[in-house]
Amino acid sequence: MSPTDNAKTVGVLGAGTMGVGIAVTIARAGHRVKVRDLTTEGYERGLANVADFLDKSVELGKLEAERRDVALAGLSGTTDLADLAECDVVVEAIFEDEGLKAKTFGELDEICREDALFHTNTSTLSVTAIAAGSRLPGRVVGTHYCNPAPMMKLVEVARGQRTSDEAYTASVRFLESLDKRVVTTADVPGFLVNRYLVPFENDCIRALEAGLGTVESIDTVVTKGLRYPMGTFRLLDIVGLDIHKAVSTSLYDRLRDPRFAPPPLVDRMISAGQLGRKTGEGFYTYADRKLMGT
Amino acid sequence: MATEIKAVGVCGFGTMGAGIVQVCAEAGLDVVVLEASEERLTLGRERLGAFIEGGIKRGKVTEADRDALLGRIRGVLDVAELGACDLVVEAVVEQAEVKAELLAQIAGVVREDCLIATNTSALSVTELANAVPGPERFAGLHFFNPVPLMELVEVVEALQSSEQTLAALEELGRRIGKHPVRVKDRPGFLLNRVLMPYLNQVVQDYDDEIASAEDIDAALRLGLGYPMGALELLDVIGLDVHRHATEAAYEQTRTPSLSPPPLLGRMVAAGRLGRKSGRGFYDYEEDPR
Repeated sequence: MSPTDNAKTVGVLGAGTMGVGIAVTIARAGHRVKVRDLTTEGYERGLANVADFLDKSVELGKLEAERRDVALAGLSGTTDLADLAECDVVVEAIFEDEGLKAKTFGELDEICREDALFHTNTSTLSVTAIAAGSRLPGRVVGTHYCNPAPMMKLVEVARGQRTSDEAYTASVRFLESLDKRVVTTADVPGFLVNRYLVPFENDCIRALEAGLGTVESIDTVVTKGLRYPMGTFRLLDIVGLDIHKAVSTSLYDRLRDPRFAPPPLVDRMISAGQLGRKTGEGFYTYADRKLMGT
Repeated sequence: MATEIKAVGVCGFGTMGAGIVQVCAEAGLDVVVLEASEERLTLGRERLGAFIEGGIKRGKVTEADRDALLGRIRGVLDVAELGACDLVVEAVVEQAEVKAELLAQIAGVVREDCLIATNTSALSVTELANAVPGPERFAGLHFFNPVPLMELVEVVEALQSSEQTLAALEELGRRIGKHPVRVKDRPGFLLNRVLMPYLNQVVQDYDDEIASAEDIDAALRLGLGYPMGALELLDVIGLDVHRHATEAAYEQTRTPSLSPPPLLGRMVAAGRLGRKSGRGFYDYEEDPR
């Protein structure tokens, strides 16, 4: 078994958590996937993680063995951007750095066909700014997958200032072929999910600092009153206070809206090494810190 | 505060009042509900009946349960009938003078050790406490709509509230199946303090055409696992109700994120209040949700 004729060839840049999740999502929909990472070890580990995920899906009865075999047959890895020449779509999921992402699309201009779509999986940067790295910014579309990408139904599609209607429409069609629910947003900082989540989290931290409630009472309000799936402080401990600060600061720098500014308590906790589950202590303490390490 | 709460008085048989009456009666408490007229008592009973009928249809409540429950509820028109209550909760219109006058009347007929609580969401509990002689027995008991389904209740600490009063209200909250959370008497207390800026932000973004209502709500449900998107939720709350609450909190704090976005005022002016008027961010007449 191998991918069908109408399968696309898709390059995924970056074999980290998001790159692997995106590769799984695209491969199991029957498309050929080439994972590119800076090192051979990097993409090999990524491919192994993709295969593990697909195997587990088959074991759990969530994926037919035949579809896994198709996905694995179409899966390959490389360190060389030039190997992405035949790609119909390239999805970048590399380090969250505007200059690096823009430069990479510029390099891909020299390699890929002119009708290839360039997708950026940024969560907080400007799609327009990243697209400016390509001589054909019309083909660049923001496609923000949620983590874990194979499990989360939502993809936010952000149109940059110069994204063409054709690229937008083709991208939505492609994402729907992955069985995703697409929402379309303007190229605004944080798109929708992070734009609403991050300041809400900061408001909860400020409420804590202001003595309006305790870690436990605020989480109770969030889970029992608002019926959100997890308390804000539980969630922040999983995300990591350092990551929260980076995302929050990045959004604040672009928006200058005080709700996005990380409250001082975040800095104090980072200074004290209370980063959340990964250090065994955040808003809550975790006895099983070894299990939580990465 | 030696007495165990056995009989609860509820003032006001509107949406919130009916919900409070229901959860208290379901927990086996005797409930006396005070209204201003026979007609309003009848409306309240209908409101309560409709909610319980829904429970019977879904097989969650039997008809015998309902009859027993209704048997524990007594509607009255005279405040003096609240005299034997161990706790009286007022859930009348959100106007400080109206509430203050009623609270004074209640205090005039109940025992000295009767607890008195307000279900206000927008007024200062500390200010209302001034209307009650012996204000240490007074506090806020802030329920959420729909009361029978929402598991949270905020126990709001007025500056005058005694520890026993707050502990007794928390105990009552647990007894009626809620998670009580003790909060300070600040504008918006706790839940609304963190909810309202988020709702205001989404409304402004919608007005700025960052995304469609459907896509915003889908992002919140699917991306964050929220039970409802912000705009769907506002249609349930009522845009007039939200606007009033966030305006009140803004007036007291001058915090910009609590200031109601201009679109709310325009929608209220146009009669688009949400589900109750048939249209808000969504149209419920053409497309009943």
